[in-house]
Amino acid sequence: MKMDFDLTANIEGDVLVLKTEGYINNDGGEKIAFEFETHFTNGISKVLLDIENSKVVNSIGISYLIEIIEKLNEKNGTLYFCNMDAAIEKTFNIMGLFQFAKKVDSVGEIKE
Amino acid sequence: MDKRIKLEIKLPLVKDIELVAIEGLELMGRHLQISDEKIGEARILVTEGVINAIEHSENKSPFVDVHFIMNINALIIIITDYGKGFDPAIIENPEIGKKINSDYKRGWGLKLMKEMSDDFQIDSNEDGTKITITKNLR
Repeated sequence: MKMDFDLTANIEGDVLVLKTEGYINNDGGEKIAFEFETHFTNGISKVLLDIENSKVVNSIGISYLIEIIEKLNEKNGTLYFCNMDAAIEKTFNIMGLFQFAKKVDSVGEIKE
Repeated sequence: MDKRIKLEIKLPLVKDIELVAIEGLELMGRHLQISDEKIGEARILVTEGVINAIEHSENKSPFVDVHFIMNINALIIIITDYGKGFDPAIIENPEIGKKINSDYKRGWGLKLMKEMSDDFQIDSNEDGTKITITKNLR
């Protein structure tokens, strides 16, 4: 299992797609938030986080995702998740993330 | 026959050391052919438990103890730190609605451990904190 954190960012239509690899801990969450911020200041309001290759997350890393949700909410934007491990999806459910974020199967569901 | 396996680890207070505990957990799970779904949930429990223990240690002790006892039916996780302890009764239950627009977005560990587990016990005093988590694996 890969634990070093990597992040790739692509714009697909009007959606910022962030694909993670490795442990979403404090450092991983910070990197996601930093990358998001760069695009958010340029007007992006739809963000898809593909976490297929992140099997371990912790609540400190997730706290950065809550920060992203908060910023997107202020601009009527949305954070989407795809390819979640079942336990991670359960974690997000317990935390109530899907009250403010959405689960999708692919970027095609979001694009205008 | 009820095949029970155990692992005891003394973890130093090192960044991301919870990953060492997770490796052990996954090896035990594979050995007993536990489902990926249950091991995934146990991974969350261990991650949050060890992170909490390290934070509560506050450098009073250079390590935390982690014990796993697993059979095909259940996993018991015991995590002990030797910090100053805390009163779990005064810990506020986090709510996403309150965390949005709040400066403090953390504080989810206990909630996750309580809700992801089948039994969760805390024993805390001025000499440290022991959490005992039971996770059914069937």
